[in-house]
Amino acid sequence: MPVQEETRAVADSSRRKFLGVTGVVAGLALFDELARSPEDALAAYEAEIEALGSRTPQAVAGRQSADVLERMRAELERALQKPSSERRWVMVIDLRKCIGCHACTIACVAENKLPPGVVYRPVIEEESGTYPNVMRRFIPRPCMQCENPPCVPVCPVNATWKNEEGIVAMDYERCIGCRYCLTACPYSARTADFGFTYTEGTPVGAGVVGEKNADDYERAANYEYGNQYPRENLRSSPVGNARKCHFCQHRILEGVLPACVTTCIGRATLFGDANDPESLVAEMIAQPNVMRLKEELGTEPRVYYLI
Amino acid sequence: MAEATFPSQRRAAFRWRPYDFIWVAGSVLVLLGIWGIWQRASAGLAPTNLSSYVPWGLWVGFYDYLVWLEVGSLMLFTALIYLAGNKQLARIKPIVLFTGLVVLLMALFIVFLDLGHPERFWHVFVYPDFTSMITWMVWLHSTYLVILGAELLLTLWGNEHSERWLRVLGLLSLPAGLALILVSGSIFGVVAARPLWNSSLLPLMFFISALATGAGVLLLLTVVFWPDKSSAEYGQMVRFMARIAAWMLLAGVLAASIIAFTTLYQGSPARTDALLLILTGPYWWSFWILHILLGVLVPLFILFTMAHRPLWVGVGAALSIATFVTVTLNIVIPVLVTPEIEGLATAFVHPKLTLDYVPNVMEWSVIAFVFGFGGLLYGLGLRWLPVLPHSVEAHNE
Repeated sequence: MPVQEETRAVADSSRRKFLGVTGVVAGLALFDELARSPEDALAAYEAEIEALGSRTPQAVAGRQSADVLERMRAELERALQKPSSERRWVMVIDLRKCIGCHACTIACVAENKLPPGVVYRPVIEEESGTYPNVMRRFIPRPCMQCENPPCVPVCPVNATWKNEEGIVAMDYERCIGCRYCLTACPYSARTADFGFTYTEGTPVGAGVVGEKNADDYERAANYEYGNQYPRENLRSSPVGNARKCHFCQHRILEGVLPACVTTCIGRATLFGDANDPESLVAEMIAQPNVMRLKEELGTEPRVYYLI
Repeated sequence: MAEATFPSQRRAAFRWRPYDFIWVAGSVLVLLGIWGIWQRASAGLAPTNLSSYVPWGLWVGFYDYLVWLEVGSLMLFTALIYLAGNKQLARIKPIVLFTGLVVLLMALFIVFLDLGHPERFWHVFVYPDFTSMITWMVWLHSTYLVILGAELLLTLWGNEHSERWLRVLGLLSLPAGLALILVSGSIFGVVAARPLWNSSLLPLMFFISALATGAGVLLLLTVVFWPDKSSAEYGQMVRFMARIAAWMLLAGVLAASIIAFTTLYQGSPARTDALLLILTGPYWWSFWILHILLGVLVPLFILFTMAHRPLWVGVGAALSIATFVTVTLNIVIPVLVTPEIEGLATAFVHPKLTLDYVPNVMEWSVIAFVFGFGGLLYGLGLRWLPVLPHSVEAHNE
């Protein structure tokens, strides 16, 4: 056998062995992963995050836990132990960290089952400067949950109010859909639900489910304000109503952070009880680089921006 | 044979009257509007061009316009009769009250259709929040409906004791009407979020504009329905009402000019952007051509120089009335299409999240239906109710 052929045969044999061993190892690893319970997997993931977090400068300095989400979740649990009138929910958005991925917008749409044309948290994109000194920045705009909400007194039927935790809430069943609150909000933070569905007009045909079946999900209830609102027809609220961000009230009362907060990949959105001096948001809103939108109107927004 | 002749006798009994064209036109408009109303009933507000950023449009503009016509004409009429003691004008009282009532019903119909949940309109009575200007508007408008209805009933079918009650109702209608018109202006005036609306002058401007349009309505009713058109009294009354209408129109021009000049002078973009949109935007012609030229200058010329020619005076009054709707539309729409926060309309894109608003065919179709409904009511009322001054009826018979 020529030397070259011998060498090739040895190489083939080594490659086969290598692939065989790798396959067995990978198979075992996969089996191990599949065999683990979800709880074990979560624990392993959290341990991994913890290990990573222990190496961040903040953790070394002992000022923050591994992930601000963990800290905010703990603070949320702490706040929920207090009477509701003693909480003051606040959102802080760090514009330096926002990368304009719109994940918060989409998370909010999914969480609240928002139909087409309704949005609670759009992200405004701004471009400033002239070439070559050009900058872009992204400004998420949830409801400001104003201390003095201009949208509340204009409602003719008491369908919207500021609750004792400072969230501006809606009673969908009472709202008559006059849209006065939409005109009164200086932040355009309220949108009207015109009754659209994503699957409207979906054709029926071979291999196509058609609108009737496709919109089952859209017709199912959402759970805003802890109530069920199935979307059955034009008269079933919130169709025909004004709608707005409520800081995912239904989640926070269960100890879960708002959807936009947990989804923010840059951890640019922070949430918590500003009445708790130990909370992250209380720390942040005391910073000198904090601002709020349209302060001159005296609405006292509870959404702060770090710039 | 009785069976054979009876139907033909009935047909012969129907005779066209001069004002029948009103209900015929009303029927045509209803036919034109059926499509829009069907759309409104079957798909809600989705087929309109309204959006979350421009939540009010054509219908709210028409609502305010009709409130101006109705309250302005009735307040001026009541003040002239009961406060200024003009007894002659009382001859057209039934038709003035009836016109006001029809216009009021049209206004309420439009605003009812503009609700996202019209079936819940009664919530305003059961769960009212009196910090809202809309609550006051609905309550005052309903009160006005009751007062006006009672006035019309007593005027048409009252007895010798009715006059005392009519005076009480008339005097009551003055503060009620004043409150209604001021509240209608305050709906916009109190909104701090919209700088051009947010002015204490706006409710006052609503009041002056209502009197200006109301004077036009009274003038037109005088020209058309005065019982004895060959009398000297007719000419006198037309000249008198023409003078009032002209001066009211001038007062409106003065008030609007003061607002425009002071706003443009201070130059804050939040205010001037919307105002410049009215004056120089894509719909500049609605302001300069329809309102200023055809609605103010031409009528003023006619009213000041041709007051002795009732036909021309009627044309001037009709022009002024018809084009005044551009004023309320220009109050409502340009302010809303001016962005509150730049970049929002492109942040999350959907036809209902846009600042572009032009009323579409469906919205106009609904307006046609409401005006058709009003025309039908009015035309049939003229035919079947004793609202026409007696000699007009005698003449038509």
